[in-house]
Amino acid sequence: MELGSIIGFLSGTFFIVFSLLLSASFNIAKVAKIIDPPSVMITIGGSIAAVLIAYPIPRILNALKTIGKIFKPPIIDPKESINKIITLANLARKEGLLALEEAAQSMDDEFLKKGIMLIVDGTDPELVRNILETEMSYIEGRHGDVRGVWDFIGSIAPAFGMVGTLIGLIMMLQDMSDPDALGPQMAIAMITTFYGSVIANFIAIPVSNKLKVFSGDEMLIKEVLIEGMLSIQAGENPRIIEEKLKAFLSPALRNLESGNVDDK
Amino acid sequence: MITVTKLNDKEVIINSDFIELIESNPDTMITMTTARKIIVKETIEELIEKITTYKKIINSKL
Repeated sequence: MELGSIIGFLSGTFFIVFSLLLSASFNIAKVAKIIDPPSVMITIGGSIAAVLIAYPIPRILNALKTIGKIFKPPIIDPKESINKIITLANLARKEGLLALEEAAQSMDDEFLKKGIMLIVDGTDPELVRNILETEMSYIEGRHGDVRGVWDFIGSIAPAFGMVGTLIGLIMMLQDMSDPDALGPQMAIAMITTFYGSVIANFIAIPVSNKLKVFSGDEMLIKEVLIEGMLSIQAGENPRIIEEKLKAFLSPALRNLESGNVDDK
Repeated sequence: MITVTKLNDKEVIINSDFIELIESNPDTMITMTTARKIIVKETIEELIEKITTYKKIINSKL
């Protein structure tokens, strides 16, 4: 459970709503005016329309699904990955590389499984690295595509907010006969910019960024796994492999490793 | 030139003159002078046997 996302959304919503209430001196009727159906149509409706034009539907649905990811991220534990590698390394040291085939079947990390199967098949180390790195960049690319949709929403929502404001101003300027009505009309014109800005800066851009952070963490793990697997194939001493992989961790995490290594 | 068997049971022929060192991890890993490493199913003894046999053959046919 990613607490940050939850706290962020809740507190952000609270602050926006509460500051509206405060500045209107808790006059609910006044604050309610900020919910304006035509404005919602232009900003949200317009943004959705633009996204539909910009991206194919499967891609959009995929991107919407990922918003669940920022609340419930996939469990990414570098220590766990390093331990898995060390276990495999010790096994290979004792019983040879072919013994890894069975061990790899029981692992649930698809990437690790793929690499081990390549090694057990006697694939050239160069080629193993090549294949795994290509897979990694493909996965990273997919992550980037999804983020692209969110980035697009982040730039299109304020733009549509601007469109709404322009419509409002055009309507207002066409009929300046009632000076008292000018203020409120102008206020309504601003609402769309408000919606657009909130959608972009409160939702789209932060979501995109969180996905980027998670993607980075995931790629780091895969890099660790690649280095580990190739070291196993090269027959390096498991202790050495552990030291090598610990370099990927921050100093704080490194110390928690030492209890787990089976020396051989 | 000696015939060796890779882990996937494929046979390859390598130039034994380029063998720099052979280790047992416990899989036999041959490191060539080109820095290429190849893992084979033969044991170290079997490899030495193959190499000496090869040398005997080529050096005797004079």
